[in-house]
Amino acid sequence: MDEDYEVEFVERGDRKALFLVRGVTPAFANGIRRTMIADVPTLAIDEVRVIENSSVMFDEQIALRLGLVPLTTPPAEFDEDDVVTLSIDVAGPATAYSGDLVSADDMVQPADQNVPIIELKDGQRLELEADAVLETGKAHAKHQGGVSVGYRHLQRVEVVGDADEFEESEPNIVRGVVEIDGELVDTAEFDNDLTQKFPGKEVAVHDVEKAFVFHVETDGSMTVEELVNRATDSIESRALELEDAVSL
Amino acid sequence: MSYKCSRCKRDVTLDEYGGVRCPYCGHRVLLKERSTDIKEVDVR
Amino acid sequence: MMVPVRCFTCGNVVGEHWEEFKARTREGDEDPEEVLDELGVDRYCCRRMLVSHKDLVDIVSPYQ
Repeated sequence: MDEDYEVEFVERGDRKALFLVRGVTPAFANGIRRTMIADVPTLAIDEVRVIENSSVMFDEQIALRLGLVPLTTPPAEFDEDDVVTLSIDVAGPATAYSGDLVSADDMVQPADQNVPIIELKDGQRLELEADAVLETGKAHAKHQGGVSVGYRHLQRVEVVGDADEFEESEPNIVRGVVEIDGELVDTAEFDNDLTQKFPGKEVAVHDVEKAFVFHVETDGSMTVEELVNRATDSIESRALELEDAVSL
Repeated sequence: MSYKCSRCKRDVTLDEYGGVRCPYCGHRVLLKERSTDIKEVDVR
Repeated sequence: MMVPVRCFTCGNVVGEHWEEFKARTREGDEDPEEVLDELGVDRYCCRRMLVSHKDLVDIVSPYQ
């Protein structure tokens, strides 16, 4: 990178964030996106030992549902082949929720407590033990920490003059976050339609070079900040690895 | 091997002489009970 | 049978909101559109997961 880049947050939450990055190439922006999706490892249930299951669903179906429940994954605490054991024991009539999972490790908990696993009728019971492992989104989508991760080119909107007096007015749609007079504006504020923001004006929309608006959401296994940091760490470590391999 | 009669829901043990039949009610449909072994399932 | 844990398309966890959604729209009389907006289920891929779902446990449970 031959110039500095700057980051500006448009929206910042634990699980969802929108931020603008200036001074990165499209290749680098896409690299971060791909890494957030496929290369940041998270914990998810990978093996289940069923002790009793008299519910209406098969063991395999229940195992799949448990696998999809996001588990909190504290950074730098776990290695690739660590195993965390969780167990669940629910007797009907009741519904087994993700929150009923009891973890052997306090740091690893279901990120969402109210996901129904299976509804149990009178006399039915679900008792099982599960092993959670650390894997990347490459191996299985359940290990994918980032959900709907993407970016858009930042667009700059400028008023260039008045619209033709007798011209048919057509909607002028832009999406995401745009720059108007140096300010970042969410297009949802004016219904994504520039003719509503600037009635009777002629506007020009240009892509801003090397500026990208990222949209990042996580499944709850970590915060957006951790996800982005770990994605960039992953790129860095692989770049260093390549450098080592290439230099004699 | 333990079975359960599908009509009277009682536990049935089969021997080699009795044939497939519930000794309590004579019903010929028996359901095999699930094993108590722990079953390992790979989450894929 | 049971609500999908995640959205098939984007992978967002939607099972979390099912019980509230069901209570307010199927058993209550609120507008599903407003309930989904309040629950923060924004994308149409995730919305269809809840809107089009039907619990089937009660229907299959008599057949053990």
